[in-house]
Amino acid sequence: MSEDTILEFRNVTKEFPGVTALSDVSFKVKRGEIHGLCGENGAGKSTLMKILAGVYPYGTYSGTVLYNGKELKLQNSAIQAAVREGIAIVYQELTLVPAMTVAENIFLGREPVERGSIDWDRLHSETRSILEKYRLDVRPQDVVRNLGIGQMQMTEIAKALSEDAQVLILDEPTSALSEVEIDRLMEILQTLKARGVTCIYITHKMNEFFRITDQLTVLRDGKVVSSQPTAELTPEKVVGLMVGREMKERFPRGARQPGDVILEVQDLHAEWAGREVLKGVSFALRKGEILGIAGLMGSGRTELVMTLFGEFANVTSGAVKLDGKPVQIKGSQAAMRHGLGLVPEDRKRFGLVLPQSIVRNISLANLGQFGGSLAVDEDSELAASTRMAQDLAVKAPSVQVAVGSLSGGNQQKVVMAKWLLSNPQILIMDDPTRGIDVGAKYEIYKLMNALAERGIGIIMISSELEEVLGMSDRVMVMWQGRSQGTLDTREATQERIMTLATGLA
Amino acid sequence: MSNSTVTQPAQPQKTLLSGLTRRFRQDFQTYTMIVALVAIWGYFAVATEGSYVSPQNISNLFRQMSVTSLMAAGMVLVIVTGNIDLSVGRLAGYVSVIVAYLQANTWTTVFPDQPALAAISSVIVGLSVGTLWGIAQGYIIAYLRVPAFIVTLGSLFILQGLVLLQTEGKTIPANQPVFSEIGQGYLPAELSWGLVAVIAAFLVFNMLNGRRNKRRYGFPLPALTVDVLKIAAYTVLLVVYVGVVNSYSIAPGIPYPVLLLALIAVVVTYVSNNTRFGRYAYAIGGNRDAARLSGISIKRNIFLIFVLMGFLCGVAGVVLASYVGYGTIGAGGGYELDVIASAILGGTSTLGGVGTIPGAMIGGLIMASLSTGLQMLNAPPALTYVIKGSVLVFAVLLDVYLKRNDS
Ligand SMILES: Nc1ncnc2c1ncn2[C@@H]1O[C@H](COP(=O)(O)OP(=O)(O)OP(=O)(O)O)[C@@H](O)[C@H]1O
Ligand SMILES: [Mg+2]
Repeated sequence: MSEDTILEFRNVTKEFPGVTALSDVSFKVKRGEIHGLCGENGAGKSTLMKILAGVYPYGTYSGTVLYNGKELKLQNSAIQAAVREGIAIVYQELTLVPAMTVAENIFLGREPVERGSIDWDRLHSETRSILEKYRLDVRPQDVVRNLGIGQMQMTEIAKALSEDAQVLILDEPTSALSEVEIDRLMEILQTLKARGVTCIYITHKMNEFFRITDQLTVLRDGKVVSSQPTAELTPEKVVGLMVGREMKERFPRGARQPGDVILEVQDLHAEWAGREVLKGVSFALRKGEILGIAGLMGSGRTELVMTLFGEFANVTSGAVKLDGKPVQIKGSQAAMRHGLGLVPEDRKRFGLVLPQSIVRNISLANLGQFGGSLAVDEDSELAASTRMAQDLAVKAPSVQVAVGSLSGGNQQKVVMAKWLLSNPQILIMDDPTRGIDVGAKYEIYKLMNALAERGIGIIMISSELEEVLGMSDRVMVMWQGRSQGTLDTREATQERIMTLATGLA
Repeated sequence: MSNSTVTQPAQPQKTLLSGLTRRFRQDFQTYTMIVALVAIWGYFAVATEGSYVSPQNISNLFRQMSVTSLMAAGMVLVIVTGNIDLSVGRLAGYVSVIVAYLQANTWTTVFPDQPALAAISSVIVGLSVGTLWGIAQGYIIAYLRVPAFIVTLGSLFILQGLVLLQTEGKTIPANQPVFSEIGQGYLPAELSWGLVAVIAAFLVFNMLNGRRNKRRYGFPLPALTVDVLKIAAYTVLLVVYVGVVNSYSIAPGIPYPVLLLALIAVVVTYVSNNTRFGRYAYAIGGNRDAARLSGISIKRNIFLIFVLMGFLCGVAGVVLASYVGYGTIGAGGGYELDVIASAILGGTSTLGGVGTIPGAMIGGLIMASLSTGLQMLNAPPALTYVIKGSVLVFAVLLDVYLKRNDS
């Protein structure tokens, strides 16, 4: 192994019961480079990184991992061992303790100790200096439970940065971040690179690879299909390598005709825990229309849709009208009765029952469809859930496996399947393609178009401006709990959206 | 990664063996417990020179487990939703003393010399008391949001007081004709055989029906031999059991409380797997927030589970009074320990979301097997407690260890 190679995988194979997650993976990572790792959902990216982080310790996989020229053998409290080796990771699925503050989470397991007791002052001041140094938009004393998922991701990143690692692994760090925060992260990574830190970067957002990575390794079905300098590649080539076929367009165009207004929100104000979270939101949604909602982290997008679903803030003034009639929705049951469906933002917390099977997760919101008023007809349940899983191309050995064992993107597809099966009149999707690969995104977009063509009104929150522009008919932009304006997508541009989203207009 | 998009509706039944190993992994704890049970029986059989497996003892063993196992069936659902009920033993005890009091004092004056009417009235009152208590507890826990641990702990104290009040420290006889049949009677031997035949026929019918439905949906069918073998195995177990209890010369036949337990276990199993109510319980335990956002009423579900738990305590209380033949201050005391232990031995996770009724029944059988076995060996009661506690911790330890090595 030459001097400038920090990491080398040699014939790494990892098996789970019934699944070969990685087979014979070999490639090298140069010291000080930003190394991109890409592949479809379930290709094995996270699994490979978990080997590096000690989640799957030495001996639970075959093959060798060379680190600084020596074989990496993480055993006995392997996760701490990895930290000691200088390997830090931001996991794809959030791993924060909700009841603790940002500062406590950042130093969890590494609390500064002064004569046997935790030195709180140092802990807080060090947290503050990390957050300031990298200009991260969270406060040390915030309780994680009250943060949005984007801020949680920021906290995870701060935690990894605080470990002063030689190798920093980022597994889809930007899936819940919006453009401004992503720019911030890119800057941080450039700084780290200048300091000689090696970074392994996983994302499903193709442009990010071309913005910052030096080298790109593509995995397909657990095998390395290519590992070459990013400069030699194009986004089209990468997608081709990932999915094994050409993809002509990213966004399918539907031929839909939006009809009457089905949902109207007028000057909605809402309060939660004594704080006004919505300060005047107005918009209308028509049948068969896809309305995009854009905005930065903390702009109130998720708060808005959760409130519409009756599961968050208390409405203090303003009106919500369904089919022209004012309604007050108190809780998700009522929302569903009114024909609403919600694909929530945080799939692990709000979307899935991880120990249960794919079938049971998909059918959970829809048991009334199967059998009589009491008993559940398991055969029709299985048939319907399987059909949905197939439509969305959920990758799994069987529909009976626990959702917790699926890759992140495939878990997201299961949440989608659940709500698509519920046949809503209005489907609200909070970042529905978070962590989903390009091929599967395309399938989801096609499904959205099909639903809209059937007359269903769709509200889609998305942090990806390209997606908002590519899929919606109109875009509502939010800023600090207010609706800043609604643009027709034909005349909207990324710049105009960003101007509204940053409160400049 | 060798797996691809789900293409087959059901588990691809590649080989019989891989299907079986998969099932084995899933029901791991259940199988470990069956092995443990056989080992325990083997040990006691040798230690008691065979009298442990005599028809008399087998007949008694199952009857002994019935009171706590009736409650364990409900406890599984309570724990699955992430709750606990500490009051079950005392609630059953309270029901038993009320019923004993009615039997001994009230019915004799209200409708003298009508033992059947008296027994029916006792059953109705007993079940009502249990259910009402469950309603009250469930309401406070689900709607007023006081943690179940606290509500049921308080309940335990209150019931203890109520039992004292009801008995005034005396023992109340509950051994009147008809009523004592509930806990002490037997289904006659011929009818017991008849029942086996009916059950076997039902299993066959159910299998054929299931296969027809599966075919209608185009699912791959499990091999017919597997289905047939399964039914054969269940039938053999039933035949052996009935054969043994029927050969108990003094009182042949299936004890009524065992029959009642079997019925309730089957119904609660069905409810937990095949009704929305049951499904929701598992979803709530697995992820409360996700369940709520799927339009499930958490409050209503938890409330109903405590009502069911109360009802089952009522059933257990009536059986208890009839089985021991009197109501005393000590009635039901400490039963909650056996009930919770049965559920946990049977694979119910204290973290919620996981647990099965059949598992809890095996857990209950293990508990009862230990009690009766140690009794027959004349072991001091203190030792019984120590052994039961050790078995519980050891069983869970083993399970944790095996699961870790598995993944
Ligand atoms: N704990 C586990 N048990 C069983 N199978 C698992 C487990 N973890 C991962 N897998 C399987 O291994 C394969 C690779 O998963 P992995 O999470 O590495 O995918 P990924 O490339 O990170 O996908 P995504 O883009 O969706 O995050 C998948 O098929 C997944 O179902
Ligand atoms: Mg992943």
